[in-house]
Amino acid sequence: MFKEGQIISQDLLWEVTKVIKVKDISKIYENGKIEVEAVKGVSFEIDEGELVSIMGPSGSGKSTLMHILGCLDKATSGYYSLNKQDISKATEKELAEIRNKDVGFVFQQFNLLGRSTVLHNVEMPLIYSGMSKKERIERSKDLLVKVGLGHRMDHYPNEISGGQKQRVAVARALANNPSLILADEPTGNLDTKTGEEIMDLLQKLNDQGHTIILVTHEDNIAAYAERTIKLVDGRIKEDVPA
Amino acid sequence: MIFETIKIAFQSLYSNKLRTLLSMLGIIIGVSAVIAVVSIASGSQAQITSQISDLGSNLINISPGVSRGWGGSISRSSTDLFTLQLGEEIEKNSPHVKRVVPTGSAGGLFIKGNNNFRANVVGTEEDYQAINKYYPAQGIFFTDYDVKNSTNVIVLGSDLIAELFPESDPVGQNIKYNINNRTHIFKVIGVMENKGRGITGNLNGQAYIPITTFMNKISNSNYVSNFVAQANSSETANQALDEIKYLLDNYISENDEYNIFSQDQLLTTINDATNTMKLMIIGIAAISLLVGGIGIMNIMLVSVTERTREIGIRKALGAKKKDILFQFLIESLTLSSVGGIIGIIVGGLAAYFIAQVGGWPFIMSISIIALAFSFSLVVGMFFGIYPAYRASKLDPVDALSYE
Ligand SMILES: Nc1ncnc2c1ncn2[C@@H]1O[C@H](COP(=O)(O)OP(=O)(O)O)[C@@H](O)[C@H]1O
Ligand SMILES: [Mg+2]
Repeated sequence: MFKEGQIISQDLLWEVTKVIKVKDISKIYENGKIEVEAVKGVSFEIDEGELVSIMGPSGSGKSTLMHILGCLDKATSGYYSLNKQDISKATEKELAEIRNKDVGFVFQQFNLLGRSTVLHNVEMPLIYSGMSKKERIERSKDLLVKVGLGHRMDHYPNEISGGQKQRVAVARALANNPSLILADEPTGNLDTKTGEEIMDLLQKLNDQGHTIILVTHEDNIAAYAERTIKLVDGRIKEDVPA
Repeated sequence: MIFETIKIAFQSLYSNKLRTLLSMLGIIIGVSAVIAVVSIASGSQAQITSQISDLGSNLINISPGVSRGWGGSISRSSTDLFTLQLGEEIEKNSPHVKRVVPTGSAGGLFIKGNNNFRANVVGTEEDYQAINKYYPAQGIFFTDYDVKNSTNVIVLGSDLIAELFPESDPVGQNIKYNINNRTHIFKVIGVMENKGRGITGNLNGQAYIPITTFMNKISNSNYVSNFVAQANSSETANQALDEIKYLLDNYISENDEYNIFSQDQLLTTINDATNTMKLMIIGIAAISLLVGGIGIMNIMLVSVTERTREIGIRKALGAKKKDILFQFLIESLTLSSVGGIIGIIVGGLAAYFIAQVGGWPFIMSISIIALAFSFSLVVGMFFGIYPAYRASKLDPVDALSYE
């Protein structure tokens, strides 16, 4: 991208380190005649390597925002760029590719494929990115070892605990080494202790340089983040570094 | 990726074994019906064809028909025109006819000692052997002498021997034949060779006597049941047929009818009939395949709904529309092709066992298997495309939040 030895301006340097730029994003759901504006003109930027938590009461638009950031859904209006790609202009096929390569999801309900083994679940994003079988099995095994599940690779999701399921989900989110990890209430279905273990894992990944956005309504979980964005009724109420 | 998808498809079909089987039933029934019917028809057709050509394609069968009476006149049969003289006329006046043999037949009871056997007795002439390529294995056939003198001699078909002469040598012995409450005594002069079912019925299950003996002593009439004419060659069979028709049309008044057909025509008629039957059953099988296809579509739609969340997860992980479309299409194709394979096996086995019972050769052509299989693939494709399309265009967020 840059010529060797080129001196770049502070402004440009600032631009280069941004993973996410959101400007005036709105999302309106239309169900027949009823319109719900779930996100109302939200703007923020997130740097590479940040761990940001998004907090807010139920119905404040957290999940809606996460879906937009994760390219599962498109904003009704506003500008969104991820990794310097203008998402507002992306086609459906391009969105699928971005979800595959640039975003890793961790859901509250784990969302593992019940009929596939733990290993195969982690392989899934690699299958869709077209990696060869040998390579992807090797990579998936490495990731499972990394999250501490090297000994459960051939088990099915219903044979492991909730905390272990979420570890599988984290390993799967890391599969294509995405530039952004989105976790929507990742500890919501876990007890406090297991929840903290998952947060420690995410913290460790953040220390290794992964950019993570975390939705939660628990203060002790949000405390892991360096920065907290507070949403109320679809608007940012507070955006504070911890 | 294709391999993975097929594996997933098999897994999901396997995890719902009963449902899978039920949804494949239409395809299984359709395909097995096609396979069985075509195989059975081909086998029995091949057998009939070989039997008829065994007899020679130069044979022509002539029999009396029933005429309708005009106005007040009484309807009558043209039987009374079928005299021995008519046979001689035909033989004399038709240049392409080599020989004409009269036959008359009647069913009765053969008795020898404590054994008896119900069978047809056929009155005919010496040339019957040449026409049917059917000769005595033991003893002799009767000659013109016997026909001229109406002698009480008889030649037995091989089936009768086992029943009536289980131990002794039949040739030279006397045998009783009971018909219409009268008993006739014949001297056995020969036993015919073993021959399969012919166009004149089961040759092995009949006995043969001079035509005049038959007419004078058994049927008590001046008329024969029919004539079999033999053309000089198969090539001239049609000319011979025309000559005989011309002669009979002059001989027999307009109101009288007769039936005449050559082996060739008979073969064509039988083949036409079998083909019609084949087409009819294949038509029914096609309906079954259609129903089977709808069954597959139904089960695939259910499957898509059940797995909405899975589809959402896959989309979140980067599956494109075409990946999802492909996955569900592979699944319906797997369903229909497994159904097709089961149908081919079931139909093949059924045809095999029926062929054993019917005694004809088991014929199974690769082309009909290929046709049935590709047809079931087409059904899976056609009826699978819509559910797969529905799955592929699900919205990721909606699919993920589906309960
Ligand atoms: N698919 C949808 N159709 C209509 N309204 C929706 C839909 N999804 C969410 N909403 C509404 O948008 C608002 C924000 O929802 P959501 O983003 O799920 O909030 P949170 O995750 O903060 O609880 C809520 O009022 C919710 O009812
Ligand atoms: Mg939510």
